[in-house]
Amino acid sequence: MKFRVELVWKDDSGGEDASSIYLTSDGRVILQGQAISPEQRKALLLPEEGDMISIDKTLIRAIKDML
Amino acid sequence: MFLRNYWYVAATDTDVGRKPFPRTILGEPVVFFRTEDGTPVAFEDRCAHRHLPLSMGKLVGDRLQCHYHGLQFDKTGHCVRIPGQDQIPPNAKVKTYPVVERYHWIWIWMGDPALADPDKITDFHWFDDPNWGAKASYLHVKSNWQLVVDNLLDLTHLAFVHETTIGNAARAEHAVVKVTRAPNNVVVTRWIIDQDPPPTFQKVGKFAGHVDRWQIIDYVPPAFLRLDVGATATGTGAPEGKRVGGVTMRNLNAITPETETTSHYFWGQAHDFDVKNTELTNNIFEQIQTAFFEDVAVFSAQQRNLDLNPNAPQIDINADTGVIQARRIIDRLRGEERAAMQMTAAE
Repeated sequence: MKFRVELVWKDDSGGEDASSIYLTSDGRVILQGQAISPEQRKALLLPEEGDMISIDKTLIRAIKDML
Repeated sequence: MFLRNYWYVAATDTDVGRKPFPRTILGEPVVFFRTEDGTPVAFEDRCAHRHLPLSMGKLVGDRLQCHYHGLQFDKTGHCVRIPGQDQIPPNAKVKTYPVVERYHWIWIWMGDPALADPDKITDFHWFDDPNWGAKASYLHVKSNWQLVVDNLLDLTHLAFVHETTIGNAARAEHAVVKVTRAPNNVVVTRWIIDQDPPPTFQKVGKFAGHVDRWQIIDYVPPAFLRLDVGATATGTGAPEGKRVGGVTMRNLNAITPETETTSHYFWGQAHDFDVKNTELTNNIFEQIQTAFFEDVAVFSAQQRNLDLNPNAPQIDINADTGVIQARRIIDRLRGEERAAMQMTAAE
């Protein structure tokens, strides 16, 4: 395994800390989230193809702030 | 633009005495001295009369006398004597700065004096804690202060800049690094688990087998970096927060801007083993100092190139993650301080 960075964003306003963001040596940014089930895709009219995850808004703030 | 509403290290406690001591801080000339009771004082180093540095003068009791025409300023910065003249103009005074002596350093507040709360001074207790052996020093650096901060937040340069002293290229290429960013703090953490202890740790720790090592860099703006480095026997719980036995060292750094292209670099090394052994303290210090001289050569060379072309593009790599987070905090704090100054000016 080559150089890998875990980024953690901590909120000081009493909210929850964001889940980690991982930067890998092959240039990928890896996020944590919940997989979207086929039922949810159907109910939300989401595309059927490809892996999809939902991520919380704290992680969005972390991405905006850190990346 | 410098961040002003922060405590900065201005001098060591032995720099400042009964002889005026000049130092440029955030682009401003400052003169330090101690009053007869030992209290440190800081003035603008510029006589209100014809701008000769007051540091060229001398102390007369608790008054600083200008070398040029003998004007005397008391410890509040007010002119209290003009030779040959009874009337003292009300604006015959020099700016004074809040100062605090702590951790064998003289700290100065260059911003709004009303905001100068000594409780905001960054903790460097290792320098006068009896449970630690420590030695500190000072380097004058010909580079912008942020280049020094960048260097200390980046573990991967060790393998290359310090190839012959403390670096290990193989480890740098395969590091797993965690960067934790809070609003006013960045912590870069790296663990090396279940490996042979490096020779320096083995010598003082006398480990029987493998160790778990940590390198934790704690950054507090504007420019304070406290490195926590150590090792304990593998399996004793250090990665989970339980440090049993082993050895710990602290590398402690405070960088103060002198100008946009030069800096005052106060640093020291502390250790929690054999703390009364001053020979050991000196040996550890000397080893680290050798590596620091290698860093200083890098900062100065970077600054020379920046001076030639300040706008040349730079690229970022994954190893810059901690550096980038620190720079974002600095940019935000600059924006906040600028906005506060504009609001004050508008009132």
